[in-house]
Amino acid sequence: MRQKFLTGISGILIALLIGAVIMASQGYDPFSTYLALFQYSLFSLYSFATTVKNSTPLILTGLSASIAFASGVVNLGQPGQLVMGALLATLAGLYIHLPPALEIPLLILAAMLGGVLWSGLAAFLRRAFNMSEFIVTLMLNMIADFFTTWVISFPLWDPKAFSPMTPQMDQAGWLPDIGDFSTVIFFMLLATAISWFIFNRWKAGYEWRMGGQNSLFARLGGCNVERNYVAVMLITGALAGLAGGLVVMGGPHRFIKGLGANYAWDGIMIAIVANNGLVATLLYGIFFSAIQTGALGMELITNVPSEISQVLQAVLVLVIVAGREYLNTLLDQIQTRRRARERTI
Amino acid sequence: MRVLTGLILGMISGATPILLAALGGAFTYYAGVFNIAMEGMMLMAAFFAVLGSFYLHSWLAGLFLAIVGSLLLALIFILFAVVLHTDEFITGIALNLFALGATIYMLRQIFKVKGAFNDPGIIAIPALHIPGLETIPWLGQILSGQNLVVYLALLATLISAYCVFRTRFGLRLRAAGYNPACLDTSGVPTARIRIQSLLVCGVLCGLAGAYLSLGYVRMFVENMSAGRGWISLAAVILVNGNPWGIAIISLVFGFFDGLGLFLQSYNIAPQFTAMVPYLATLVALYFYSMRQRKKVT
Repeated sequence: MRQKFLTGISGILIALLIGAVIMASQGYDPFSTYLALFQYSLFSLYSFATTVKNSTPLILTGLSASIAFASGVVNLGQPGQLVMGALLATLAGLYIHLPPALEIPLLILAAMLGGVLWSGLAAFLRRAFNMSEFIVTLMLNMIADFFTTWVISFPLWDPKAFSPMTPQMDQAGWLPDIGDFSTVIFFMLLATAISWFIFNRWKAGYEWRMGGQNSLFARLGGCNVERNYVAVMLITGALAGLAGGLVVMGGPHRFIKGLGANYAWDGIMIAIVANNGLVATLLYGIFFSAIQTGALGMELITNVPSEISQVLQAVLVLVIVAGREYLNTLLDQIQTRRRARERTI
Repeated sequence: MRVLTGLILGMISGATPILLAALGGAFTYYAGVFNIAMEGMMLMAAFFAVLGSFYLHSWLAGLFLAIVGSLLLALIFILFAVVLHTDEFITGIALNLFALGATIYMLRQIFKVKGAFNDPGIIAIPALHIPGLETIPWLGQILSGQNLVVYLALLATLISAYCVFRTRFGLRLRAAGYNPACLDTSGVPTARIRIQSLLVCGVLCGLAGAYLSLGYVRMFVENMSAGRGWISLAAVILVNGNPWGIAIISLVFGFFDGLGLFLQSYNIAPQFTAMVPYLATLVALYFYSMRQRKKVT
């Protein structure tokens, strides 16, 4: 645990240092840039609340990817599942009118259903025709992207808008703010807690993890590997769909063009950085969100383009992951050497 | 006849970037590197091609810089995946996102625009008119007058097929993927072969990217590789890396790419026509999986 923490922190520091070098080479002052970056994302209650709210889609897609990868399922379909979840939540919000106490849970379920449908399609293609989910989910991402763009450009287009978007949904489905904090955060934390519990404490989660670490062992131990595969696909799809639904319900309250942004790919990166640990996904999700959220404020003060946050993220991922794996090989080497020395004595 | 000509021309221009990137992917596939960074390499190359062509006023400089840009990513891949032993899949995903972020950042920093950069100062890669072929009726307009990169792609297919199956380098390349321990014990470091395969992949993806921004269209658009790297990865996997198979399958994808553009004139929503190549990939994967299953049983 301490070693994990140490590699994480040192990785972040090295990555920030590389980022500073990049900025300095462009003629910006790295110190004041980082100060502005974190001022606008962590150092006040309001900005911290915004950071946590913005981290919701990152963390949920990150959880989705973590659970999938740790279970040996290569579900890379989070981008598609996210927009399908957002689309179904928007549809339900547009056509079903209920009091908020019923409407909000309904929309949440609709969002999860959207993700489940899209990941279920990939799971079906795998089970029925043995088509690798790796390529299938990637292709389904593109198809979902085009499909949702079509829906908001033609059948559900809001004639009052200038760019493709749907009309606003029923106010009953809007997630309110409590003080500075959006209630989106509550749903995100709830989903994280439930996923953590299922994955780390339940029998099903144990079977999934065993399947990911050693599928043969899981099979010999009596796990139904095929059923577990489908279950993981559906659950991870639901998480990614939920991310999309929460983006709509807590933000623009409608499906606007480019809604999915890069959330899901960032989420996948976060899962990788977190080494598929669920708590680590939560923490790194907030950290990545701090960089993205602070970047906009940073641009206002320092003239450094906010796009540098994307470069910074990729550097973070590479440095942290490479540092971790390199350290592990190094520790292995030291241990082997020590053992060899003990034997010679 | 004009429709047919248009479809064939569309097929060729759609197939070229996929063919080049997939050939690059084939080299790493044979070397046993799970390389999914083609998407990022192509995107980076597309940006550098515009950069070189615009500032140095020559398409040759654009082509050269495109290869440099793509090689830059290949070098980072080598550093992390081969030297530091980071997971190849992770490195690939991080590099793709790095390329996306870096090109958007540089687009803003260097050209001061967001979204797309389009300027008459960008010099496109010229078409090549072959004197003898041009006179053949009908066939002439397909065989001659294509973009220079199209002919380079054709050449690259021939060279790749020869290189992989007929040379010592090709034998070592395949050994690096098939049995790395055996290659190492026979005195050829696997890591060196893998590095070479990644460099070749970088050059080919550089050509593919240059074709995207200086041939297919003459501008740079954010995320303009648009999943072509993924499609070329699918193409490599579908034919197990065979260059001839890649050429055929790229033409099939190119056909559907062209068909998508063609269908737009028939009042079908552009979003559906744009889906066609990705659906075609799924269908191809279906046939591949069924064939694999038959082999097993």
